[in-house]
Amino acid sequence: MTGLTVRNVSYAYGEKRALDDVSFHVPQGAFCALLGPNGAGKSTLFSLLTRLFTTRQGEIEIAGIDIAKHPRKALAKIGVVFQQPTLDLDLTVHRNLSYFAALHGLSGRQAEGRITAVLERLDMAERATERARDLNGGHRRRLEIARCLIHVPSVLLLDEPTVGLDAASRHAITKHVHDLSSQDGLTVLWATHLTDEIGPDDQVAILHRGKLLDQGICRDITGGAPMQDTFLSMTRAAS
Amino acid sequence: MIDAMIALRAILIREALRFVRQRSRFVAALVRPLVWLVVFAAGFRAALGLSITPPYQTYITYEIYIVPGLCGMIMLFNGMQSSLSLVYDREMGSMRLLLTSPLPRWWLLFCRLLASTTISILQVYTFLAVAAVYGIDMPWIGYAYVFPALIVAGLMLGALGLALSSAIRQLENFAGVMNFVIFPMFFLSSALYPLWKMAESSALLRDICALNPFTHAVELIRFALYGQFNAVALGWTILAGIVFLGFAFWGYDPARGMKRG
Amino acid sequence: MRLATLLASAALCVPAAADEMWISNEKDDTLSVIDIETLEVIRTIETGERPRGITFSKDFSVLYICASDSDSVQVMDPETGEILHDLPSGEDPEQFVLHPNDRHLYIANEDDAITTVVDTETRTVIAQIDVGIEPEGMAVSPDGKIAITTSETTNMAHWIDTETQELFANTLVDSRPRHAEFLKDGTELWVSSEIGGTITVFDVETQTEKAKIEFEVEGVHPDRVQPVGFELSNEDKTAFVALGPSNHVAAVNPDTYEVEDYILVGRRVWHMDFNADKTLLFTTNGVSGDVTVIDVAKREPIKTIKVGRFPWGAAFRPTN
Repeated sequence: MTGLTVRNVSYAYGEKRALDDVSFHVPQGAFCALLGPNGAGKSTLFSLLTRLFTTRQGEIEIAGIDIAKHPRKALAKIGVVFQQPTLDLDLTVHRNLSYFAALHGLSGRQAEGRITAVLERLDMAERATERARDLNGGHRRRLEIARCLIHVPSVLLLDEPTVGLDAASRHAITKHVHDLSSQDGLTVLWATHLTDEIGPDDQVAILHRGKLLDQGICRDITGGAPMQDTFLSMTRAAS
Repeated sequence: MIDAMIALRAILIREALRFVRQRSRFVAALVRPLVWLVVFAAGFRAALGLSITPPYQTYITYEIYIVPGLCGMIMLFNGMQSSLSLVYDREMGSMRLLLTSPLPRWWLLFCRLLASTTISILQVYTFLAVAAVYGIDMPWIGYAYVFPALIVAGLMLGALGLALSSAIRQLENFAGVMNFVIFPMFFLSSALYPLWKMAESSALLRDICALNPFTHAVELIRFALYGQFNAVALGWTILAGIVFLGFAFWGYDPARGMKRG
Repeated sequence: MRLATLLASAALCVPAAADEMWISNEKDDTLSVIDIETLEVIRTIETGERPRGITFSKDFSVLYICASDSDSVQVMDPETGEILHDLPSGEDPEQFVLHPNDRHLYIANEDDAITTVVDTETRTVIAQIDVGIEPEGMAVSPDGKIAITTSETTNMAHWIDTETQELFANTLVDSRPRHAEFLKDGTELWVSSEIGGTITVFDVETQTEKAKIEFEVEGVHPDRVQPVGFELSNEDKTAFVALGPSNHVAAVNPDTYEVEDYILVGRRVWHMDFNADKTLLFTTNGVSGDVTVIDVAKREPIKTIKVGRFPWGAAFRPTN
């Protein structure tokens, strides 16, 4: 099975349960919004998906690879954009990308080719020599998305990537990532608490207090009503 | 294997570039020991006392005595700072980035350690150059001999920083580390006073200092600066380094979780 | 293995003839002999009581030792370490100087306020000259015409005509003069004053004061900066001055009378002497009981060697 699969995953910080028997599947090439208020367990799930830590309860498959059994193979298939900025602001755009490429074993001409490709894909080719510090917030985010594509992953994980951005930048980034799934066939998991970033044809998984409340195609879940209202009523009912 | 080397090279280059860009960090790292040397040590210009202890062959001024300790201080601060900044400061994200690389985690941590040690060594040599201009120079051979000693000492102290960054939740910020790790390690060592001088005030104090791995790192550097080899100091420094490194790898084991996630 | 043994035994058969530095230990009644190659003490030799000033004859065949508490100057064979005979010296001889004629010893008799002149060949006193109280520092001009005695309590340098063995001038110096030397082909006389903390420079022609050298060691109380013995490097380029309990030796430029460096040595540094080519300087450190070896060119201490208790005088002896 390809895409992204989470099966019966639980995780606790000591006594506190952060994830409780969470299961969902994102098919290859689909865009899935992981929707949940702050503290729902989104970041914990992301940490498990990126193997910052591991759990014994449940299974995670990335592009069909079990992350517990073949962690490094699975990691090679993932592109991640973390909620916190992870750029070296004092280094140039190009340096940031080549550093990341090297962490994935890419160097020389191979790395150069990939860097050019991802910068063009995100419409940032002309900014290669600028210092990351000189980019605005939207462009920094776009650079991080470009970066996570360098090693040609098949699954993209983005943890609230639009936090702190203005409306125009948010819109542009949301569109870019939607394109990556629809045009390039990448599987996308997009964590957010902002419902307006979700299109009617997107997949949605709603997480609240560590539990998955619902999942499916957005329009099926809302039945045509605004996502915002559905989300609020669901989380209120669960409280 | 090639992947691992590519990553190592990139991590070293990144640290070097960051170091060059952050001139304030470089200056701060240099000013701290120089203040000790010029302000503190100058107050005790006269002879340290009566005993002449190896590697010294004659009476020395306090300024000369304190230089190897200050080299150690640079490495101690740098080791703590670079490892802990991973966790506490804006570098949090870049640590995550590092750990999502499909290379073995221990290798990634080791690369990071090697990179920060390289920076430490650059800082120490700069400090020694300034000290030489100030009038405290070592035998030429010492500047060469000290290089391997600095690698061992730097790795050990960096590994301590990594171990702490993974393990101790209470050290919320750098000030805490200063108070509970750096100051005790620095003051309870042979960096500022030789062990026989410590023994004059208390035998217990002397024993604590003798157990402190930082003492052995400093003595390793001190002997090397005079072209001499201190096997005991080397042994203790390596042993401490292995223990700290093992602790760090264990602390960063994904099964243990990343507490501050 | 065999080769190594052979080499080792060969080395034993033909001892490498390294030059020596002889040190008198005031408290131990001994001499310590330092090998200048290895910088280690290779012999310790018994002497009379309280040996202080020591000096070799011109050909280094005998060593003269002021055995102060034995009230004699002892003459030693440096090869065997045997005392050959004593010279009449007057009471409490502290320091002496050998006249360029290699025959007359000018001896300061500390308790008697007398300078005694002894003929080392006939072993007789040829003159006794009344000087100030507690004479100590002794010097003879390079042409042999003038001998100097300094007196600790009278604070004077006494000028002796060696023809007549009579005083021809007395000049005041600062408190407690300790040591005197002629410089610059005998045109200048330097006298160190321990309590005064100075060296007074005299013009020999006119016996008038020409300059005064002062010392100041950073971090050391001025009271503890007490110039005592001093020696001149090659061509009088640098004067090295022992500064007693300040534990430093000063390097003075004899042309400008400026102190250029202070070198850290052991406690209460007293006297000193050079090796053959004057590349190394050996200082006696009384209180710490050791000898510091100074690299003259770099003006840096390189090693400190433990000797007997209260080392006082130093005398160089070449061995080939």
